[in-house]
Amino acid sequence: MHERSLVQTLLNQVQQVVDADGGGVVKEIQVQVGDLSGVEPLLFESAFAELVTEWFSQECRLVLDIVPVKAECRLCGQCFEVQDYEFLCPACGTGPVEVIQGDQVKLMSITVDSEKSVSGAKS
Amino acid sequence: MNTRVLSVRRDIQAEQKADAAAERERLGRRGTLVINLLSSPGSGKTSLLEATARHWAGRRSMAVLVGDLETDRDAQRLAPLVPVAQLTTGGACHLELPLVQRGLQALGDPAVDFLFIENVGNLVCPASHDLAEHLRVVLISTTEGDDKPGKYPKMFRTSQAMVVTKQDLLPHVPFSIEAVTEDALKIQPALKVLTTCAIDNRGIQEWCEFLEQQYQEKIESVYEPAVNR
Ligand SMILES: [Zn+2]
Repeated sequence: MHERSLVQTLLNQVQQVVDADGGGVVKEIQVQVGDLSGVEPLLFESAFAELVTEWFSQECRLVLDIVPVKAECRLCGQCFEVQDYEFLCPACGTGPVEVIQGDQVKLMSITVDSEKSVSGAKS
Repeated sequence: MNTRVLSVRRDIQAEQKADAAAERERLGRRGTLVINLLSSPGSGKTSLLEATARHWAGRRSMAVLVGDLETDRDAQRLAPLVPVAQLTTGGACHLELPLVQRGLQALGDPAVDFLFIENVGNLVCPASHDLAEHLRVVLISTTEGDDKPGKYPKMFRTSQAMVVTKQDLLPHVPFSIEAVTEDALKIQPALKVLTTCAIDNRGIQEWCEFLEQQYQEKIESVYEPAVNR
């Protein structure tokens, strides 16, 4: 269950990005999880629900976008979606293929309510 | 309310990957090939390392960092043969680079030819963590079934070699080396497949020759000046 350590890494980065941008209340975090990232989305979500309150608030939503694995053949340049984890080029069948999408967990965007406006709305 | 969206688009492990790349460079430059060994529990990582140490005795230097959830039994088995440090994860399912670096320090950062990292027995989580290895090797024993590659694709996709262990048990178990090889090669066509038995030493010489060839390719030909210094 390494999802917990990945969520910690994620929240730490969100904190850094938001702090560097002037702070605020984090409302939503968008994350891309690749099919070859080694992350189980359900476990990631439950680790997030458990840990998010240590950083932000319960109202902070996690939006997970599951992305398929894509690869490119280094011999003929063909780009293709990898089905059933078969890393064989559908065009030439011989080239070594490189994964170009779907092996990472990516922090895509963060939605923030600025604290200034929040306090401004109150007064 | 003033809502803004910050676009980031960044691999959350980018920092760890950069740290691992820097450590890999440092170790390579001073002549150490780092091998990350991964497998299910009980597939024979420690036995393979014992056989490797006996094979190289006095000819090639090696050290082992042993990752375990709690006990240091594997480390105790290896200690009479090679420098070994225990990395206790305290229940965590995988090793991360800072723990590996602490283990290296505990060993006095020895300039050995081969540094083996015996990862925690688990085919899932360790696949997602770069430990500064030059070579990732996945072990699969004949007793655990030949359908593992398809079940744990990331592990096999990110490995450069697969070692089938406990070859001596093949007559007694429903395991096909052909089937497991075919499955694994679909996921990683460049995978080097080796078969060993640590009890009667079958395949150990080929395994050691493979490592020496990797040493030549990934260390000697890349960092030639530093090694010959
Ligand atoms: Zn091709």
